[in-house]
Amino acid sequence: MQVSRSPVRKTVYILMLILLPILTMFVCLCIGRYFISVKDVFECLLSRANDGEGVNRLAYITVWNVRFPRLLLAFLVGAGLSCAGLIFQSLFQNPLATPDTLGVAGGASFGAVLSLLLGFSMILMQLISFAFGCIAVALTMLAAKGKSRSLNTIVLSGIMMGSLFSALVSLVKFSADSEQQLPSITYWLMGSLQSATYTSLLIGLIPILISVTVLLLLRWRLNLLLLSEEEVISTGTNIPTLRLTAILCATAATASSISMCGQVGWVGLIVPHMCRMMFGNDHRYLLPASISLGGSFLIIVDTLARSATAAEIPISILTAIIGAPFFLFLMRKKGGWAI
Amino acid sequence: MKLLIDHASFHYKNQKDLFTDVSFTIQSGDMVSILGPNGSGKTTLLRAILGILPWACGRSILDDENISDLSAAKLWSKISYVPQAHGTAGSYTVLDSVLFGMTTKIGVFSVPSKEQIEYACSILEDLHLLHLRDRRCSELSGGELQMTLIARALASDPGLLVLDEPESNLDFKNQIIVLDTLSRLCQKGVGVLFNTHYPEHALRRSNLSLLLDHGRVLYGPTAEIITEENIASAFGVKAIIGEVETNTSQIKNVIPISLIAKSTGSEGSSSESSEKNEQEHTALSANSGMLASISIILSNFEESEKVNGILHDFNDILFGRMGMPYRKRNLYLININLDGPVRRIEELYHRLSLLPDVSVKVTYEKDTTEWEEQK
Repeated sequence: MQVSRSPVRKTVYILMLILLPILTMFVCLCIGRYFISVKDVFECLLSRANDGEGVNRLAYITVWNVRFPRLLLAFLVGAGLSCAGLIFQSLFQNPLATPDTLGVAGGASFGAVLSLLLGFSMILMQLISFAFGCIAVALTMLAAKGKSRSLNTIVLSGIMMGSLFSALVSLVKFSADSEQQLPSITYWLMGSLQSATYTSLLIGLIPILISVTVLLLLRWRLNLLLLSEEEVISTGTNIPTLRLTAILCATAATASSISMCGQVGWVGLIVPHMCRMMFGNDHRYLLPASISLGGSFLIIVDTLARSATAAEIPISILTAIIGAPFFLFLMRKKGGWAI
Repeated sequence: MKLLIDHASFHYKNQKDLFTDVSFTIQSGDMVSILGPNGSGKTTLLRAILGILPWACGRSILDDENISDLSAAKLWSKISYVPQAHGTAGSYTVLDSVLFGMTTKIGVFSVPSKEQIEYACSILEDLHLLHLRDRRCSELSGGELQMTLIARALASDPGLLVLDEPESNLDFKNQIIVLDTLSRLCQKGVGVLFNTHYPEHALRRSNLSLLLDHGRVLYGPTAEIITEENIASAFGVKAIIGEVETNTSQIKNVIPISLIAKSTGSEGSSSESSEKNEQEHTALSANSGMLASISIILSNFEESEKVNGILHDFNDILFGRMGMPYRKRNLYLININLDGPVRRIEELYHRLSLLPDVSVKVTYEKDTTEWEEQK
């Protein structure tokens, strides 16, 4: 709870945050329907320089060409979504504000589905998804703007926007060709990290990397988002610019994640909450913690999704099964964490 | 530092003026209290002065520049504003809270440097808060929280400190801690402007006061503004300003007595007329000449300069003066004789009594008219 107070504990936590994703990645490289022993994974990793000579060829290809890009994708998507959730919570000073509840995810999905229907390229799909994510968050903010700045108004209007966009998604599905496009859209919507290759990673991860980096650089400033209006004014900060930057970064991270692997819900709610419970509200610790925990969380969930049963379970099903009870728990507990 | 409010008026959208034609000046070392009944717009006035709300007409001028033309960073490095304490985010530590006050000095993409953290700690130390540095604001008492917010305001090293009811909701001890801090800052040359519900705090602390009286704005030396007459008019309360004598000074105190009945029936009007007589009487004596003698003991040698500075402003009524150092105990004794309007004598006495480390008392000649009547 009070991590920042003792320097020793702080160091321990920082070390844990660095080690956690590395360890998780390593363990998850072993796990799968084709199990690779720890020793083999080590050998595969070490023999990267000489292109896997003297190592089991099948293991080598599985580790480097199948599992590693997928784990990387899981890590970055998890980190991106967690950061986005964290930032939305701070922006709206609302523990329930996340990409999902604000309708950002819905908007971005609609953009992505529309691009799928029209057969656009990956880059264009990212841009359109981002644009609709921005439109959704803008509409939510407009709808919630009014005299009463109550905690629930923003979430309620977010849910309205979410259902509006999910209706639009249905409209796209309805008009899609039922032989080929519809199944691919439906399957994509449920979320999967199967698509991961190094090339798709390169295109899709640039927006996540950029926005997470910007947010990390702003980490101290972001604390100002939680101050009251009057207090912020008297710090002399250009708060509208800060808010806009934060919104754009969070939306870009969300849209980019969604256009790569569909709607992976709830990560942006659960992970920031766990981080806030551990680290308080200081973004200097919260952001790195969200990256580390969010990335590790999605790696674990994705490993479960691909290895629990013979056929791959769509990842959003698993995150929702974990996320929905957690959300209810938080709503009922209320006092557990407040901004 | 000089803040000039120039013929300013303010009204909310589609409403009539909350206050009209406000003009006053605050300079370094001034301590100005703003008083007024609930709903008279004290907070609004502060916000308008700072440019957070726009004036309907008129302007605020800070060191020859219109506040609305200044960049936020520049304005808030010269002025600090301490809003009312409730509503601050409680999850940050005291040290973090103070660092927020230095935002303009910390780069957009950076975190506070070691020197900046040390500076924030030195401010906390000055205000005797260093032991709280790692506590969360939500765990602080009301007084500690208010002091933390003052520490934050001081972190930007401002020339003017503006506070919204800094001592409301605090117990006696914390009120004194907060007000002592403000007085100390004032002596260091910081201008202080604050809202208060306590006329006696204005009387005891500030050299200038501003009273909001139903759209009318009274401004001037505190002793002239905080009078029984003005309190009756602004608050609708009959109050007595009494004096309590201690070993070192005579302390003014405002004692509210009763509501003033609105002038409806004949009964009301008669009480009002007697009131008026009384007021005329006091007004008369306030302007009539009196002989007085003030004795001052300074427990700090350096204060004598400040005392001389104040006395200089009252040369016209000063006719005798004797000052001597008492080196054995490092004290300085001053005796002055005055002949002038009671109003001026009171103002001089009031300004002297605001100095720390000064004991001061005033003795008036016997009121001869009263004496004759009794005979």
